[in-house]
Amino acid sequence: MTRFVVRRLISMVLVLFAISVLTFLIFQVIPNGDPAQRMAGRLSTPETVAAIRRTWGFDQPIWQQYLTTMKKIFSGEVISYTQQVNVLDQIKQDLPATLSLAIGAGIIWLVLGVLFGLLSAIRAGRFTDRALTVLALVGVSTPVFLLGAVALYFLAFRVQLFPNGGYVPLTSDPPQWLYHMILPWLVLSVLFIGIYSRVLRSNLLDTMNEDYVRTARAKGISERRVLLRHVLRNSLIPIVSLWSLDFAAVIGGGAILTESVFNLHGVGQYAAESIAQLDVPPVMVVVMFGAFFVVVLSAVTDVIFALLDPRIRLT
Amino acid sequence: MATVDSTVRAGAPAARGADAGPAQPAGIGPYRLALRRLRRNKVALAFGALFLLIVVLCLCAPLYAAHVAHTGPNDNHVTETVKVGGVAKDVVSPTGQPIGPTWHGRFLLGADQNGRDIAVRLLYGGRNSLEVGGIATLVTMTLATIVGIVAGFFRGFVDGVLARMLDLIWAYPVVLLGIALGTSLALGGITIGPIALHGNSLLVPAFIIGVVYIPYVAKPIRGQVLGLREQEFVDAARVGGAGPLRIMWSEILPNVSSTLVVFVPLMIANAILLEAALSYLGAGVQPPNPSWGTMISDGIRLIPSAMHLTFVPGAMLVLAVLGINVFGDGVRDALDPRAKVRLEEHAEEASR
Amino acid sequence: MRVRTFGATAVAVALLTVAAGCGGGGSNNSTTSSGSSGGTAGGTATVLMGTAPDYLDPQLGYTTQSAEPDWIIYTPLLTYRHANGTSGGQLIPGLATALPTVSRDGLTYTLTLRRGLTYSNGTPVKASDFPYTIMRAIRVNWGGKSFYTNYIAGASAYDGGRASSISGIQADDATGRITIRLTQPYGAFANVLAFPSSGLVPRGTAMRNLSNTPPPGVGPYKYSSVSVNRGFTLTRNASFARFGIPNIPTGHLDTIRVTIVSNTQSEAQQVLNNQADVFDAGDTLPPSLLPQIESQASSRFARVPIPSTYYFFLNVTKPPFNNAKARQAVNMAIDREAMVRLASGFLKPTCWFLPEGIVGHPGNSVRCPYGTTPDLAAAKRLVQQSGTAGTAVTVWGEQRSPRREYVDYYTDLLNKLGFKAQERIVSDTVYFPTIGNAKTDPQTGFADWIQDFPNPSDFYLLMDGRSIQPTNNQNFSKVNDPHIQGELNRLNPVPATQLNSVANDWSTLDQYTASRAYVAVYGTETMPKFFSNRLDFGAAVFHPTYLNDWTSLQLR
Repeated sequence: MTRFVVRRLISMVLVLFAISVLTFLIFQVIPNGDPAQRMAGRLSTPETVAAIRRTWGFDQPIWQQYLTTMKKIFSGEVISYTQQVNVLDQIKQDLPATLSLAIGAGIIWLVLGVLFGLLSAIRAGRFTDRALTVLALVGVSTPVFLLGAVALYFLAFRVQLFPNGGYVPLTSDPPQWLYHMILPWLVLSVLFIGIYSRVLRSNLLDTMNEDYVRTARAKGISERRVLLRHVLRNSLIPIVSLWSLDFAAVIGGGAILTESVFNLHGVGQYAAESIAQLDVPPVMVVVMFGAFFVVVLSAVTDVIFALLDPRIRLT
Repeated sequence: MATVDSTVRAGAPAARGADAGPAQPAGIGPYRLALRRLRRNKVALAFGALFLLIVVLCLCAPLYAAHVAHTGPNDNHVTETVKVGGVAKDVVSPTGQPIGPTWHGRFLLGADQNGRDIAVRLLYGGRNSLEVGGIATLVTMTLATIVGIVAGFFRGFVDGVLARMLDLIWAYPVVLLGIALGTSLALGGITIGPIALHGNSLLVPAFIIGVVYIPYVAKPIRGQVLGLREQEFVDAARVGGAGPLRIMWSEILPNVSSTLVVFVPLMIANAILLEAALSYLGAGVQPPNPSWGTMISDGIRLIPSAMHLTFVPGAMLVLAVLGINVFGDGVRDALDPRAKVRLEEHAEEASR
Repeated sequence: MRVRTFGATAVAVALLTVAAGCGGGGSNNSTTSSGSSGGTAGGTATVLMGTAPDYLDPQLGYTTQSAEPDWIIYTPLLTYRHANGTSGGQLIPGLATALPTVSRDGLTYTLTLRRGLTYSNGTPVKASDFPYTIMRAIRVNWGGKSFYTNYIAGASAYDGGRASSISGIQADDATGRITIRLTQPYGAFANVLAFPSSGLVPRGTAMRNLSNTPPPGVGPYKYSSVSVNRGFTLTRNASFARFGIPNIPTGHLDTIRVTIVSNTQSEAQQVLNNQADVFDAGDTLPPSLLPQIESQASSRFARVPIPSTYYFFLNVTKPPFNNAKARQAVNMAIDREAMVRLASGFLKPTCWFLPEGIVGHPGNSVRCPYGTTPDLAAAKRLVQQSGTAGTAVTVWGEQRSPRREYVDYYTDLLNKLGFKAQERIVSDTVYFPTIGNAKTDPQTGFADWIQDFPNPSDFYLLMDGRSIQPTNNQNFSKVNDPHIQGELNRLNPVPATQLNSVANDWSTLDQYTASRAYVAVYGTETMPKFFSNRLDFGAAVFHPTYLNDWTSLQLR
């Protein structure tokens, strides 16, 4: 166990390090991407550009610039290029919207995904199953920004049933928070519901054919009990593991498209806007932040499963 | 995101790859059997046909442009008029409102803000989207197969290095990585050895999408190879004096091929979706070249007054992706009725 | 980054433009409403912005979004009349007692600070705050700091770290006297003094970006809360009314709440549905909502032209546009009506580089050298004659709408003319650094200029051979014409107060530039003035430089 944790920790640090280097390099190859030129403004003289380059250290070797940036990130004083504000403050400001989106949508897609998957498996091959399969595939085949834009147009513009995007903090006005979050939750969930119900369906069908389930049936245990006790419990393991990673990804700014379409001002949208402005420090922070969640949650999931299922050995 | 083979990661079904070896009824090859099963799945075939139809339509774009619409995909007609039911109408109104579907040869599905024929752009855009999807899939499958097999076969140090590289891409939020690379490379282009790509080349987004998806294919393959290399037929080849390259090529590869086949339609669907997402964020196919993604994202701003700009390419994209997804579903069922490889888990990546 | 610079007008520009026979730029009713009109006082209004201000620090802000609050929070020594159209360009004393006295050689400006002024936090205003403010703008690298460093004696030495203060500025706290020495006569220097970045802040204000906690200023309003990229709130600065500064209104509303929405669609809808009060004029009104706005809200929507020039630059140092006939062909073929449609009507067609509202604009009575109706056939022949047909051309453009659409159209046009044109769209942030870089050396592409101040010399900066530089070059066509240089040497030093005496010279120069086809100008931008029905639309001032004048907003 200790060995596992240590190994995972080392690998996490390596991955985060590599990700930060990669991100930093991606923005170095851009011609005319020199932030000093942008910061100096349209009417600036070459002297001004040079002065800014000196003050910000853009004239130093790349590795040194990278080290400086990383040092600033970990000391919490990293400043963005475009508006020169503290990046960590911005992320703190954006996190509630992202958390609201992740938690609400996470619950919806888990519950509905499991429900539809179960229904599909029980009625395998029949109409309900077919219909749910088609629905799931339609959900998986529709770009989320298209779905969001269409939903906004019909439900917020034509019929003013929902607000036209935006985020209201839970702390300032709970009913408005809920009102603003419903549509983004549903839109983000559609895709996951499609995936989860499909995965659960095949897992259930697989498990139903396992020997121990047959044994249980043979022992005369009621079908309902078999389904809930033996089949569902085992089939849910991969679902929950999937869920924790998807959830981590959404918290880490993975829901860029949903956040952008609904203008939630979350972490993902912040990252997307920063990329558009070639503002490297925020991009690095958000990417590392997101990767951190993914890596940690995947390790935690592994530990939990090892505890639950003695057959699994942590390596 | 990153959940692709979280099942493998999580350990529980980690053993799964191992029994994915050759298990076939005597007499009939696995592909013949699969084909037989697929032929019985009418729904999958119908959707496959739908996808094929869309591909053929898009390939005919130049014919449509020359003989029906009489205009190219980038031809502007801002201040021109078009006769609809005998009445001359502005292609683009003085306040910038483009004309809707005319249901005639010219501007069959309406115009966009630049007075370009939507139907023509839809077909050319489809060509670009499919091209990006196809090339990206090729990139993913090739590299992922090599990485997966090499990592699984050699294990140890090689595996460690490759696995870390996969982890790197895997832990990086997909859309973020895509737009970061897309934005950067659209400005700078790519130079890989002797090949230099201009920033507005279609190959740039195709290459990015291809790379981003590598771990999602490479990891399951690696898992499968880990199991395969312990099988007797590999040992037999080794004893027979075959070198590692030969074993990988003639023993391992054929045994993962069914997994690869199952992945192809899925990756095409995902690549098309990711291209749309990148275009929505300004990092996909570069203007004036159309793609379904760029057309949708340009249209979204105008939904209230010109719905056709979004709905026409949107419907086309969803139909194409749905077609190939359902077909892919059928292929998977046919090749592996118990669906050992949980492909749906990969599907989410493109859009969130 | 929205590079939209702003500026000011010299005295008497209003009279002059009218005298020069220009098409009137907006309505000329000078609503100098310091509480004169009878609306409701007090209340709160919500302003929506689709683009966040670049900085909420007066010495850093350089976009219209930051200028709108800055000019009513940080009053400089000089400022502008709060009025519509050209009279809004009139320079008036702000914190100074009067307009500056300029020495005969044009090198020394003298002003006196008003007595008894305090900042919104109660700190008394001192004359020495002025040099400190200028030093601060230079030290924090304000985007327009070259306006200071190029002209104020000792400012570039301070900038380069060779001096600890600016030797050219003397300030006497006891008498309030401020003397500024210039290195060369510069007619528009009074306009420089009226930049919001010249808006006074207390001596000792930190020399770094203070957007999170903006410093106190002297003005009708003050910041009461700020949340970067989310929004900010302005409340009335109670002490300001006591100073009784003429022509600077004290404002009607008690509170102005500004909310940043990154979706102009919802921004426009909220104003249309009266859920919010002001659509920020610096944002693009979504074309898809125009039909609805024009039918349902025509009484609270208007398009107001602002002095700006939109054009395609034509690099005269490279094929094919080093060939005059190729440049003429572009000017002849361009369909300005098409550009207006691409802009959803937010463009007024013109062929002149000096826009309406600026001294020297030739006006509609003068015929455009290459006509106003496009002649594609003649243009094609011209390209054939020039021998440049078939030349490969890379057309550079910005990503955002409608600029992308302009370039889509233009590329298609060049192809129709017989060139082999290819489009190159670059993200907005790096567009100007990219095309301004000598390594790129672009052949042609999109360019625009929005006045820093309504002085023709501000526009001719882009045609000045001396402004060609290796980075951040703004003379995209690389024009270096001896005739233009000679005229600029003569016209640039003319003090803003005497501009009308050289109006005809500027106009002749602009016609010369147009005839040389150095650029292909297609229009002047118009901006949306769009309110909810809660506000008094007629009484609200739309300032040519600072757009919606928030001190003039009042509830019905």
